[in-house]
Amino acid sequence: MKRTALIAVLVVAACSPSDAGATTTTDNPATTTPAQITTTAAPATSTTTEEGFPVSVEADNGSVTIEARPQAIISLSSTATEMLFEIGAGPQVVAVDDQSNYPAEAPMTDLSGFTPNLEAILSYEPDLVVITFDPGELIAGLETADIPVLSYTAAFTIDDVYRQIEALGTATGNVESAIEVNESIQTDLEDIVVVSGDSGEGVTYYHEIDALLYTATSSTFFGQIYGLFGMANIADAADEDGYAFGYPQLSEEYVVASDPNIIFLANVLYGESSETVAARPGWSVMTAVKDGDVAELDSDVASRWGPRIVEFAQSIADALGRYKEG
Amino acid sequence: MANPSVTRPSRPGWVAITSGVIAVVGVGVAGLLLGAAGIDRSQVVAALLDALPLIEVEHGLSEIHLNVLFQIRAPRVVLGGMVGAILAVGGASYQGVFRNPLADPYLLGVAAGAGLGATVAFAASGNAGFLAPFAFVGGMVAVAITYSLGRSVGGRTTTSLILAGVAVAAFATAIQTFILQRNSETLRQVYSWILGQLVTVGWGDVLGLLPYALVASVVMLASRRMLDVLSIGDEEASALGVNVVRFRWVVVIAATLATAAAVSVSGLIGFVGIIVPHTIRLLFGVSYRVIVPLSLLFGAAFLMAADIVARTVVAPAELPIGVVTAFFGAPFFVMVLRSMRRPG
Amino acid sequence: MILWEEISVTYGATRVLGPLSLGVEDGEWLGLIGPNGAGKSTLLKTALGAVEYEGTVSLANTRRRPGLDIAWMPQRPQMPEEMSVADYVLLGRTPHVGYLGSESETDLESVETALRKLNMIEFASRPLGTLSGGEAQRAVLARALAQEAPVLLLDEPTASLDIGHALEVLEVLDELRRTEGLTVVTAVHDLTLAGRFADRLVLLGDGIVRGDGTPSEVLTEDLLRAHYGRGVRVINDEDGPTVVPKRSND
Repeated sequence: MKRTALIAVLVVAACSPSDAGATTTTDNPATTTPAQITTTAAPATSTTTEEGFPVSVEADNGSVTIEARPQAIISLSSTATEMLFEIGAGPQVVAVDDQSNYPAEAPMTDLSGFTPNLEAILSYEPDLVVITFDPGELIAGLETADIPVLSYTAAFTIDDVYRQIEALGTATGNVESAIEVNESIQTDLEDIVVVSGDSGEGVTYYHEIDALLYTATSSTFFGQIYGLFGMANIADAADEDGYAFGYPQLSEEYVVASDPNIIFLANVLYGESSETVAARPGWSVMTAVKDGDVAELDSDVASRWGPRIVEFAQSIADALGRYKEG
Repeated sequence: MANPSVTRPSRPGWVAITSGVIAVVGVGVAGLLLGAAGIDRSQVVAALLDALPLIEVEHGLSEIHLNVLFQIRAPRVVLGGMVGAILAVGGASYQGVFRNPLADPYLLGVAAGAGLGATVAFAASGNAGFLAPFAFVGGMVAVAITYSLGRSVGGRTTTSLILAGVAVAAFATAIQTFILQRNSETLRQVYSWILGQLVTVGWGDVLGLLPYALVASVVMLASRRMLDVLSIGDEEASALGVNVVRFRWVVVIAATLATAAAVSVSGLIGFVGIIVPHTIRLLFGVSYRVIVPLSLLFGAAFLMAADIVARTVVAPAELPIGVVTAFFGAPFFVMVLRSMRRPG
Repeated sequence: MILWEEISVTYGATRVLGPLSLGVEDGEWLGLIGPNGAGKSTLLKTALGAVEYEGTVSLANTRRRPGLDIAWMPQRPQMPEEMSVADYVLLGRTPHVGYLGSESETDLESVETALRKLNMIEFASRPLGTLSGGEAQRAVLARALAQEAPVLLLDEPTASLDIGHALEVLEVLDELRRTEGLTVVTAVHDLTLAGRFADRLVLLGDGIVRGDGTPSEVLTEDLLRAHYGRGVRVINDEDGPTVVPKRSND
């Protein structure tokens, strides 16, 4: 009895709301030094009664009440799938969408996250559906069917990642595990940045999203991760007023003339590689191409905001290491 | 006794041709001088002069800048000119053979077909590798279907061809939308291609497009007199000895080949095919002897100018060139229309 | 010469012309008359190959050369409004210039000659859209003349012309016929005028030949009443037959 009460008290203490304003990764990411990662893993937005259900969880579609611990979760978001499995909710997941290819044990189906079919979803008899995109009537349809739905769109900051993981932890009854995951993500990110030291300071980079030269500036989610290393994004000059929402299309001659130290390819899935880049007319004289500093990123890792942002940061660190070696 | 000067047929006057040539050269040079890479203009001039045979000038450009100028900027300017010329002369020819001032080179479904081809290429391979050939084949197949549909249904009239083109375009677009829905990750790529782009082009693309541009230009220029003859109607033109069906077929094939090739390189750039020939019609005269050659010149100049805007106005970011042509083309056309208001 | 043998033309289920056989000699002027819808325009179009027909149409030259053998003046021509008269008449030289060629001095001279003959030379640079009905009609005729073909098929060539211009035009044609040996076939509504100029008249009614002969033979009160459905009076004097309209209460 006493021990249970002690655990309960500790858990409640750990779950109490903390100051959510202590994060730093949104301002001037290009000048953020590695030491500014701070702890944000403390849950800020959910309420529980002890460890049990019902819980109320915050999502992009508002406050959602989940009556009981879900056992038939459907995820239509590849990022959410990664989060769910990382926090140990894997056994509770019955179906994931056709893009959720990680982890391998996730039960991938034909369900589509972009053109969702309500009936198909309901045929799995879910008790919780996690989405990232609602083309129009999905949330309304699920609510009518009395099924709780959580919508989490793309993270804008690293803080958003922690929030989403924590919320999913609460929603699936894996609160402790979620906290641990968040802590380990933080620790790992810190370690990677510390190990790379100041090798990223001032290094210029170009992050390519597609072969038509769409890129992400440093204000975007992935841009902020580059910012942890102190790297400078050549695309920032192209979206100073934010009209492109962080994803401008660059002029080819500008990319070549800027001669970035490292080129990162986020579009390897679409056939780009260091060879194809070198074959582009005019690109072969770029320093990064000549010195072999064209980093091929895993396309999924470079587009999801889940636990594998650690891998993403590691890819950056590896590229920096190769760059420093010359 | 006879005074043939009175009856001399319409020709583009010296003024028109000269201004066309000046426009092409002027805009072309401007295109070489301007760009997002911020290369010093006087150095550019020096480098261009140095590139001429027998002339040696110190230009002081770094290897990277030299590379940008001759491997990225120059082919883009040239390609912009070629695509502009093809689209404009294609539009003029279509307007002539269909006797429809609203005809543009995409009329018979080449745009929708190329778009479908591009979508299939993106969806099947996930990259832009097969884009050009698929778009080309898609465009040609669409026009071929339009032609056989139009002939079998409505005989040889132009209306039936145009209607068939509408049907084929609608069908191709429907399939395209379906494929996009099922492969939503290709949405952004297809969409940006559809808006038209000259972003990643090199001399290889220029050389690839060149034969089509030449064939189209030669065929259209040779046909300009016949296009005037067609304007009195198929029946009367036949009575004058013109094989109307075969002539129309030749012109459409040449225009479509070149348009499909242009589209496969640069995506769907709209407005050029309608705005340029029409503006020439208003400014310089209605005979196709005037419109065809001037469309080649001013079409090239127009698209090169639009491309300069696309790559400098929000530098170092880019605007899709299709947006620029629509944005600047439409009001320009209105301006010309109003200034040429005829009395009575 | 033109020879129509067992010609018939059917639109859908309706036969609009034929069966008929007819011949025109070289240098002859044949006037086609008949009520609206009798098939006059259709008959002319069969010689051009512009409508589908059964039977045979033969011309002097067995190898058909469209545009060079026959010059056709349509009843309702399409005239692009902004084209100049000179350019329009120049279109008549198309069969001589071919696809790839361009016009020579000879072509330009033909145009000028045609315009002068029809008193249209001052209109050379005027856009077609600014012409009156009569001027436009003379422009179309000039185009046909510029073709310099041995056979002229003219569908209502004087319909919009006042009496003065009509006579002028028909006299020009008559002179050309004599000097160049042209064969002329005209479809004309004005029966008297037709009779004055044509060597021979053919009356078409409901698609077949109802009368064929000299103007005096064909322009008779009985024949005309039978096929036009109204009584007329025909006055014969040294100039030829004159058809006078008769009102119901005359």
